[in-house]
Order: sequence, then C-alpha cells, then structure tokens
Amino acid sequence: MKVIIVGVGGIGTALMEPLCRFLQYSVKLPGDIEVSFVDGDIFEEKNKERQMFISIGNKATIKASEARRRFDKLIINPIAMYINESNVSEIIKEGSIVFICVDNHASRKLISDHARKLYDVVLISGGNEFVDGNVQIYMKKGGIELTPSITDYHPEISNPDDKSPEDMSCEELSESTPQLLFTNTTVANIMCWVFFAAIINRKDPVNFAEVYFDIDKMSVRPTLRKPLNK
Amino acid sequence: MSNTVEELNEKTVAELRGMCKKLEIPGMTKKRKDVIIDAIMAKSKPTKAASKSTSKKDVVAPCSVGKDTGHTAKLAKQAPVEPVTRAAFQMTSVMTKPSAKDGDKCSTAIQVSCGASSGEFPVCGKTVGAIAEFLREVLNVDRLAEGMVNGDKVEPSYVMKEGDNLEFLKPAGQKG
Repeated sequence: MKVIIVGVGGIGTALMEPLCRFLQYSVKLPGDIEVSFVDGDIFEEKNKERQMFISIGNKATIKASEARRRFDKLIINPIAMYINESNVSEIIKEGSIVFICVDNHASRKLISDHARKLYDVVLISGGNEFVDGNVQIYMKKGGIELTPSITDYHPEISNPDDKSPEDMSCEELSESTPQLLFTNTTVANIMCWVFFAAIINRKDPVNFAEVYFDIDKMSVRPTLRKPLNK
Repeated sequence: MSNTVEELNEKTVAELRGMCKKLEIPGMTKKRKDVIIDAIMAKSKPTKAASKSTSKKDVVAPCSVGKDTGHTAKLAKQAPVEPVTRAAFQMTSVMTKPSAKDGDKCSTAIQVSCGASSGEFPVCGKTVGAIAEFLREVLNVDRLAEGMVNGDKVEPSYVMKEGDNLEFLKPAGQKG
C-alpha cells in the first residue's frame, strides 16, 4: 500500500498520528506499507498555534523523522518539495492513496487532473474555512471512476483563483487567514473516517462522495453524487 | 299522513282543527274551513319533499359531475356505498406530482441541504431561486450557489415537485 500525504500543515500534522498508528497496528496486508510526506514549506514558531511538530525545519522532513521513530514497521519517505506539474507524475503513481491536505485549490486541481489520467488511484481531499469544511473522495478502479472527480461539483477547484505556494510571492505567503485548530483536526479525523469506510471496510458501491461538517452547528452530513461524465 | 284536498273537505272543521293541533299549526281555532285546509296542505308539502330528497341525495357517486344520467339513482339503490365525507377526504395535487393518482397523499415538505445543514421545508411548488432566497440565512446558502435536484444541476427557475431532493452546492474548504 502506497500512502501519500500532500501538505503537512494544520490538517497534515493532525492526520499523521492517527493514520500512521492505524496503518502500523490495524492494517494487515501482505506487502509493505509506505507513507510519504510531501511539503516544501518550513515549520516556524508561528505555526505552533495549530500544527504539531518538535523542531524547526522542512515540514515533510521533520514529520517523516517523527513518524519513522514512532512507527517502525512503516516505510516513511520525506519529499521536501511542493507538488507541481513537473513532479506530480513522479510522486503520485498507479495504486496510490493520496491524502490531499494542502491549503490552496490550485494544488487540488493539479493532483485531481493528474489522478484522472491514472488507472487505479484514490484521492481523499480535505479543506476547511474557520469553523466548517469538507472531505471529498475520488476513487478510480480499473480505469472506471467510481465517484465524481474532486473538481466535478466544485468550480472553485476546477477554476481556482488562488496559486500554489511555489507561485506565490513572499508577501502572499506571509498573508494568512485565521484558522481554528479544532477545524483542522476535524478535517483530519473525517479523512480517516473516509479512508476506513471506503478503503479498509469497503462496501460496494461507495455510498458517499463528500462529507461536510460545521463545528458551529454541531453537524456532519455525507452526500452521494454521481460522476459528471457518466 | 298525506291527504288530498278532497279528503280534507270531507272532514269536519273539528276534525281539521284536531289535525292542526297534531301538526303543530297555530292560530286555527277561529279560522274558516278552507283556510284550515290550505294551512294543512302547506304544512304537509315540505315534509314530503324532505323525505324524498333524503333517500337520493345523501349518497353521492364519487366523481359524479354534471347531469345525472340515472347512474346516481342506481348507486343509491346499491348498498353499501360509502358516502364521501369531509373526514375521509385526502388532499391530492397533480400540479406538483404529475404521476399522482386519485387518492394519493401529497406532502409539501422537501429535503433541502447546503453544506452540513439540512432540513425539510414546505417549499413544494416553489422555484429553486425562490427557495435559495427563502433559506439563505437558515442554511447559509451562498448567493452564487448552484441548485441540484435529485443529483442533477438545475436552473433557478426549476419548480420543486413532491419527492424532489434539493441541494445547494457549498464551495469546498480552501485552507488546511
């Protein structure tokens, strides 16, 4: 099993612990389980409000070293770069299960467009605003799309008005929207639910494509949608 | 107790006054015989009409519209036929549910959702655009949110029908 966590920020750091623990102790598969962390950003003191890390430096490298120490049965790889058009096909290959934890729609679209060209792939994409957010799943098996693409019902992802971090200026990078730790951890948890329900404890057909939540309203709602190209 | 004018004429005034007493016709003690007979005949007529109408009009054939071709009278003889009463009446709507048959129950509540919010609202027969305005505050519907009915994108002019499910698409969370 090849698991890739793209983006090691508020959601990615919260996802690492439960996901790696589950993969090491609860998933019984004959082959190795490989987990890759992908991020070109660095941990800074200001990130401590929402992100869990033990030292300053590249996010992917630091999180990978933490995971390697605690989960010795997993094969842990750091990929210390932002995902972009030139490396996406090297990072995301056939059979990958990709957790998209990035903070911009441009990167979501890049990964989605690449995944649609593959034969077998799973994308679990999470994102949030201050108190609400959503998790989407895209599954393609044997060349057949079982769920909608993450861009299908989201024009804001298919036509993003933001940039990937690599394309941002220093000023743009320093601008940050306030986020809530609990919202990040909720997205990470729902990504784990989706992974468990759709991949580990899979029922055919997958009976949801997107899960919304709202902390203010104390509500979670799954939705079933059909791929638009069908 | 039906008498013709001829039969009443053969009776004495005292007998006629006795009949008036039984029929509860007041003020006949000093009236002339012809006036008393007219009063008895007038009192008798409505009673006969009422007894005739009770037998036919109480049982109405379902969906009988327009001229009675005799079918109603035949149904009246065939017992038992359940009369249509207010209590048994069920509202149906063929406007909001084209497939509705006579007797189908109709509900005006529609499942409407947006993001994590969802609920049943009495919006059957309203347009998607009007519902977006109506529920904007309740469901946090974005002004540019597209409406999807039963999984398909629809125009704001689409009119909701019974059994439809409406979702306003909420944009995906951007941050992480």
